[in-house]
Amino acid sequence: MTLKKLYIDQLIADHPTTRLIQARLTVPIEIVRHSQQVYDAISSTADPVRQGKEILFLTHNRGAFLKKCPGTSHYTCCDYQILHIGTFCHMDCTYCVLQNYFHPPILQYFVNHEDLMDELETVLSQKKVMRIGTGEFTDSLIWELWTDVSSQLIQRFASQHHAVLELKTKTTAIQGLQNLAHNRKTITAWSLNTHHIINTQERGTASLASRLKAAAKCEAWGYPLAFHFDPLVIYDGCEKDYAQVIQNLFSNVSADNIVWISLGTLRFPPALKAIIENRFPESKIIYEEFITGSDGKMRYFKPLRIRLYRKIIESIRELAPAVLVYLCMEDDEVWQESLGFKPSAVGGLPHMLDMSAVKHCYLETVQ
Amino acid sequence: MGSKSGDTQDSPQSVPLDFAIAVQTVMLSKVDLTNTAFCITMRADLDELVLSIQKLGLLHLPILKYNAPKYTIICGFRRIAACKRIGWETVPARILKENVHHLQLARLAIADNASQRPLNLLETSRAVNLLADVCADPEELEMTLHDLGLPSSPSISTKVKKLCQLPLKIQEGILAETINMSMALELGKLDPKAGEDLVALFGLLKVGLNKQRELLLMLKEIAKREDTTITHLIADKALQNILQNAEMDRAVKRQKIRSYLRKRRFPYIVRAEENYQKLVNQLKLGSKIDLIPPKDFEGMTYMMTLRFDSRQELHDLQKKFEKIIHHPSLGKILE
Repeated sequence: MTLKKLYIDQLIADHPTTRLIQARLTVPIEIVRHSQQVYDAISSTADPVRQGKEILFLTHNRGAFLKKCPGTSHYTCCDYQILHIGTFCHMDCTYCVLQNYFHPPILQYFVNHEDLMDELETVLSQKKVMRIGTGEFTDSLIWELWTDVSSQLIQRFASQHHAVLELKTKTTAIQGLQNLAHNRKTITAWSLNTHHIINTQERGTASLASRLKAAAKCEAWGYPLAFHFDPLVIYDGCEKDYAQVIQNLFSNVSADNIVWISLGTLRFPPALKAIIENRFPESKIIYEEFITGSDGKMRYFKPLRIRLYRKIIESIRELAPAVLVYLCMEDDEVWQESLGFKPSAVGGLPHMLDMSAVKHCYLETVQ
Repeated sequence: MGSKSGDTQDSPQSVPLDFAIAVQTVMLSKVDLTNTAFCITMRADLDELVLSIQKLGLLHLPILKYNAPKYTIICGFRRIAACKRIGWETVPARILKENVHHLQLARLAIADNASQRPLNLLETSRAVNLLADVCADPEELEMTLHDLGLPSSPSISTKVKKLCQLPLKIQEGILAETINMSMALELGKLDPKAGEDLVALFGLLKVGLNKQRELLLMLKEIAKREDTTITHLIADKALQNILQNAEMDRAVKRQKIRSYLRKRRFPYIVRAEENYQKLVNQLKLGSKIDLIPPKDFEGMTYMMTLRFDSRQELHDLQKKFEKIIHHPSLGKILE
């Protein structure tokens, strides 16, 4: 979606990053004293979610920039650290949980990078193997249009040897990454889905072919890669379609350069259902066989999840037997039935991912 | 033939004096029966009123307003219709001044009905619509509704307002108390035929609001899943066979239709539940042991409960328990 207005928090109106972004945008600007003014302007519209994608609010993050991934105790979490650079996204996926995560959801960017970098310094100085990503509360690369945040982060991570940065996206906004000395400490990652799902459920995102082409370019520029099949959506013919995506994936990039592939079937908080029904009346994804999971989210009935995971893992294994595949937010039974082992048997999921990052990104482990 | 002395029979409080001109006798052919803008009543039966007028005359005069070339009925739609049926050519009526504001006309029409009986939901809806058209702003509407003893809270009056705009069959469902306001509004969002079909289905099954919601949700979601319509689903042979079965009582029909729809909405889950039940039956647990699976088979923990009244009974259950542990069906359940 196109940005229609820029709101600027009065407190950071003169911040250099604010000035930089302002210079790159040609939309009406409003300086606000309180964020509530922006929230009110968004909330009063007929479709606040859409409205929240058409404005950009520049402000400063008063809280922590680094947060633990909001996993739950009922399912195995990857122990990822989120670098909170901003919120929401201008692309419009039917299933996006962010529509219901922020109240109201607003495309918001934090300009106080000095605080972000300070916090990052503290964390990186611990010299622990860590996986840190910006693509949880937003898409990592949508900000490339207006900011230099990715290049700043890539360069900072390049100068240390213990942590990796993962930039997760559905875009092809990789131009700014080309000539950076990344030292293989940044993993460029793409969410992948079938043509059918991209065309019907991922409004405004790059096509599958474009995503894979962008991934191939990043590989050529020396970046390690990752892929996330999340959400996997069940529909008639989905297994065949996902197998085709996997074929396309490995004909574009080298399996050896993939740090991990995650799989996660569609899941959503119950309140998202009404939002999807209202905003995307043509979407059918919420009418499959869902149950309420142990974490209160709607998930496909377990045997259906296992069946799809097995098929996809089988397709991946045929082409890339050594690549690390993991399940996002699943329990031991699903791991066992789908992958043939439980994470605890190999030291736990975080350990598996850390070790893959060590291997592919040449990290140093603490002695 | 018409009443010649209606003013003596009329209640002096029924019309504020400054609204009315003297009672006049009006030719019925000069009364516009097609203009129902001020009609609040839903009652169509005239028999009792006809008898009353024939016996006692017109006790309560209709109120009309002259809009050249005819008179518009403000109050007394049924009385005018009854007089016409009796065969009167003229009718005594109170005629309002021409400059009476539309809001005052609406208030008169509503008060005239509300003073005789509590308005039903659809009459209330007509009243709200009438006032909404003539009030200058939402505040005036809220105040007027309050003055007239009608639901004045904007959140409620907005909902009530929609009722009389719903398809006729849904309105009839409200009057027959088959559906309530909330369900009527839900049905109003559907294709009109689907709304009608659901009112008929709910009427046949005599289901309460919760069950209505469950059925509606399943039908809507099946229609989405299968690219079909609710009307088509209700007309489905399997569902109609249950509905039309004269030997089945209503409670059984309700249960069977619910099961049929659930199976169609969640085919894989229902099949898993049936398989589970089949295996549990093979365990022959008896009445003192229950095996409870994880909710929706999502977790991994099963629960078994034993009920006993004596040490001997517990001992007997222990033997049974041992058999269950080694039963192949338990293995299949836990796989």
